[in-house]
Amino acid sequence: MSLIHELESLVQELNSGLDQAFSLSEVEDLRVAFLGRKGKLAQIMQRLPELSPEERPEVGKTANIVKGKLTGMLDDCKTKLENAAEADKLAKFDPSMPGRMPWQGSLHPVTKVMTEICDIFKGLGYDIVTGPEVENDFYNFEALNLPPEHPARDMQDTLYVTDNILLRTHTSPMQARTMLKQEPPLAIIAPGKVYRRDSDLTHTPMFHQIEGLLVGEKVSLAELRGTLTAFLQEVFGPETKVRFRPSFFPFTEPSVEVDISCCMCGGEGVVDGQPCRVCKQTGWVEILGCGMVDPEVFKKVGYDPEKYTGFAFGLGVERVAMLKYGIGDLRMFFENDVRFLNQFI
Amino acid sequence: MLLSINWLKEFVPFTGTIQELDDALTMLGLEVEEVLHPFEGIKPMVIGHVVECEKHPEAEKLSVCKVDVGEEEPLNIVCGAPNVRKGLKVAVVKVGSVMPDGTKIKKTKLRGIPSMGMICSERELGLSDEHDGIMELPEELVPGANLVESLNLDEVVLDISITPNRADSLSVLGIAREVALAFDLPLTVPEYNLVESGEDCSEEVAIEIADADKCYCYYGRILEGAAIAQSPAWMRYRLVAVGLRPISNIVDVTNYIMMGFGQPLHAFDLDRIEGAKIVVDTAEEGEKFVTLDEQERTLKATDLMIKDGSKSVALAGVMGGANSEIHDGSTRIFLESAVFQPASVRRTARRLALSSDASFRFERGVDQLNCPEAMDRAAAMLAELTGATVRTGICKAEPKPWVAPELQFRPQRCRDLLGVDVEDAFCKATLEKLGCTITGADTADWTVVPPSNRLDYEREVDFIEEVARVYGMDRIEPVLPQVKRTLEARNDDCNEYEFWSLIKAWGCGLGLNEAINYSFVGHADLDLFNLPKDNRITIMNPLSSEQDAMRTELAPGLLQNLRHNLGHGNMGLRLFELAHIFEADETSDTTVRESGRLNILFYGDRFDSAYPRMASEAEYADIKGCVEHLLAHLHVGVPSFTLVEDHAWMSPAVNVVVNDQKVGTIGRINPEIADAYNAKKDVWFADLDTDVLRTMYVASNIKFASLPVHQSAWNDITVIAPITLNVQAIFDQVAATKLPLLEKMELIDVFVPEASEGAEETRNLTFRLTFRHSSKTLKDKDVDKERKKVVKSLENALPVRI
Ligand SMILES: [Zn+2]
Repeated sequence: MSLIHELESLVQELNSGLDQAFSLSEVEDLRVAFLGRKGKLAQIMQRLPELSPEERPEVGKTANIVKGKLTGMLDDCKTKLENAAEADKLAKFDPSMPGRMPWQGSLHPVTKVMTEICDIFKGLGYDIVTGPEVENDFYNFEALNLPPEHPARDMQDTLYVTDNILLRTHTSPMQARTMLKQEPPLAIIAPGKVYRRDSDLTHTPMFHQIEGLLVGEKVSLAELRGTLTAFLQEVFGPETKVRFRPSFFPFTEPSVEVDISCCMCGGEGVVDGQPCRVCKQTGWVEILGCGMVDPEVFKKVGYDPEKYTGFAFGLGVERVAMLKYGIGDLRMFFENDVRFLNQFI
Repeated sequence: MLLSINWLKEFVPFTGTIQELDDALTMLGLEVEEVLHPFEGIKPMVIGHVVECEKHPEAEKLSVCKVDVGEEEPLNIVCGAPNVRKGLKVAVVKVGSVMPDGTKIKKTKLRGIPSMGMICSERELGLSDEHDGIMELPEELVPGANLVESLNLDEVVLDISITPNRADSLSVLGIAREVALAFDLPLTVPEYNLVESGEDCSEEVAIEIADADKCYCYYGRILEGAAIAQSPAWMRYRLVAVGLRPISNIVDVTNYIMMGFGQPLHAFDLDRIEGAKIVVDTAEEGEKFVTLDEQERTLKATDLMIKDGSKSVALAGVMGGANSEIHDGSTRIFLESAVFQPASVRRTARRLALSSDASFRFERGVDQLNCPEAMDRAAAMLAELTGATVRTGICKAEPKPWVAPELQFRPQRCRDLLGVDVEDAFCKATLEKLGCTITGADTADWTVVPPSNRLDYEREVDFIEEVARVYGMDRIEPVLPQVKRTLEARNDDCNEYEFWSLIKAWGCGLGLNEAINYSFVGHADLDLFNLPKDNRITIMNPLSSEQDAMRTELAPGLLQNLRHNLGHGNMGLRLFELAHIFEADETSDTTVRESGRLNILFYGDRFDSAYPRMASEAEYADIKGCVEHLLAHLHVGVPSFTLVEDHAWMSPAVNVVVNDQKVGTIGRINPEIADAYNAKKDVWFADLDTDVLRTMYVASNIKFASLPVHQSAWNDITVIAPITLNVQAIFDQVAATKLPLLEKMELIDVFVPEASEGAEETRNLTFRLTFRHSSKTLKDKDVDKERKKVVKSLENALPVRI
């Protein structure tokens, strides 16, 4: 049998070999057996010197063709097997198997609301300041135009440590603390815990407030309204209506109570034909108290009330969270039930 | 303050709807909190006329009546009241109607005689507790007419929240002024006609005021021949409607005038006033005094008293005394109308926890010019209702007459502060409507004299508020201001809020749940944690003993959360809390040192869900790894962990130290403490000081190190060490060898072989050593050489085999 014939018969031989190959390793074995350094093709080519120089080119040419064919056949088979394996893997893939989820943490709803509000004011150029929760009477009351025996002290039931030391009843002491340290213009936001001697369905003895203060020259009530409108529409949505009505706080004059249109009933007072429980059918909910800084407060901290004016506001964080997330029970905030906490991811 | 609409309409001709009134008052700053209908319950009652009344043949105490209720036939009603008799006008509930308590009236038979309704007593009519007899109504009422309408009862009452500055609005008159302002109506204050008689009595009771600053004026009138009785129904119903309890005609009149005109009054029995004088002076320190609620009060030398020639007779402006109060036999009355210093009244009322309608008004300030008129109105009404004669003349002293202040108002200042272009004319009209007198209104700087009823007008800004209030706060157009600040004002260090925000984001991102607990706990909670007592802050007036101390550790709160969650079947917990702890510190301006703490609690299941996570429970490695993760996150340096021997509430307890500074402690809550919170498994805990961490964080910075050029090579060694040898000892020993090529050493496996009998327990610790040269790739023989140094060093220094 001529070498050429022998070479050509390798094609048939590999063909039947590949018919029996069902795995990539078997294909690899065949590749080594046919095309390896000591494979069948190489063995045939070792006999090349037996031929006359005239015959050699012909055989060499055939060998190259055969080698190309064998390589092609092996690659085809390999691709076929790989495709089959991939198809098999895809057929067995179950997309509904549970994911290996890393831990899921949560921020307390008070933190979430506080962060959102502080971020809005940071964006407007306010500095965030914090201060002590146990205060002395001066910062909590006197500096805020609440002298002893002032009936407005009845507005806030106070927890006392001594006659003169108390748990701050609002974040407003930060107004005086900041103004005593800094000269105008200033714009601050003071978030934090506050305390009242009050505990029932709608009051907890500790809650969170955010205080805002802006002082400069010719600061106006219209600007207070502009600031709060922008802020409240950011938090409760651009459709929110903001209502100003007169009120009283010893440390602001004029003083304003701010209502927003009820987010539960859209200000209609009615939800699905039933009276709205959030706004008691008025269409409005109280959201914060504010006003123009009282000249007496400026005098206490050594600012000239003729030169400077300013506005201040304070709002309850839990109240905002209750409205925003639809939380009905205030006490849940401090039970820290993970089924509650996990909803504020 | 409860305001009857009917009563209001006597003062101002308001004809609008309740809703319009509600809106107008609320937008003027008199917030209407609720609209009440006090007589809703007695609405079904009708007027009846007893046309026949005979004894029940079977029962002595019952009467059988025929009652005309305006229908064709009178109703047959069996009544048990002793005072039922022919000719009476009575209140009847017919069959089918519902009583205020919800009982439905049915047709019944009493001892064989049918009864078609019920005749009502005062109790059933909501007037008093009287139920022995039926209520006798005025003659002129028409049978069949509705009772509520016939008596013109105050069907609609507004509950209005009056802010402390608006003392002027604590009366029907005050609110009528606001209504007149809002709807541009005139005031129609009821007329009165006082008839004086007899000799001038102004010298019969001498008025002496010791301190003009405590009592500005004191007026008194003498009435004689009064007959104490119940007030007429209309008066009693009106007082009930606005939340007052009717007492007797004399007391009711003083209350009625107070509610109507804002001036608290007091009626003394003149026969019980000794020495023919009234002295307004402070009490003796420690003096005992029985107020008319029959409570004995111990007084202080600061309490202002009304005294007669020999004794104290009233706590000035707060409450009268039992020794001079009106009683059934009183005929001569001394009627007091005075003005006391607000702070003085408040101090006494608050100390004695004795807030009355009178003290509430005096504390906030009453209209001194109204003082004599209110007294005269009361005197005229007393004459009418008690048959008394009012003596000619007034007993009075007014050491400090009302002097109206002269205040400044600049319209431009008003426009600037409000940011609204209100015209001069509007400002002028508004202030004048509010009762002010203005001079210089043609200049830029006006002088405004406020009326005596508005004690809250003290400064220019108070007028500016009034202009805004009447203009309509809600009409002010919003303007977003430019925030002007200096760069120095910017707080460039990371403040507590910013640092805590960073940690909260880390905790949430890592997979922990943020908790927030009350800052106070009970002393008992702190005791349970064996915490020191001497540094605690005690709350003087706590709501309960569970909230009587400021927490010196956050742990009790988080353990309470653990108990709550276990109680609700939540099995795996990973909580964290950031808050202040509070400790006594004399050097602080608040006598308290507040420090920031981060606490983390791990309990039970490590993962929330099952497959593909294997069920496993949190252990020391979790809390430690968590803390290491945080410290890496903050770039504060590598921590070391050292065992603490006697921690108060953790065991084991391990101090976390960074750069020789303690940043906190981690460990396991003492089992007996954990047990008190129903924990069945180990509670792993971290207690970190965020003040220390923040200082470290602020000082830290990130320095980039260039990446290595040459490849590293690694080699594993297994160290057989006694089980009591800390892994750290091996790390430290290798570090002490100071091999320049050793880049990294990690523990990659731990195996504890079963120890043979009597032999020391050991464990096999496999470490991976990674070596790298900065300027060449290491060959196997280089690595072997380094490895040998490690082995030698360990074997020489520690009781280990390699
Ligand atoms: Zn609503």
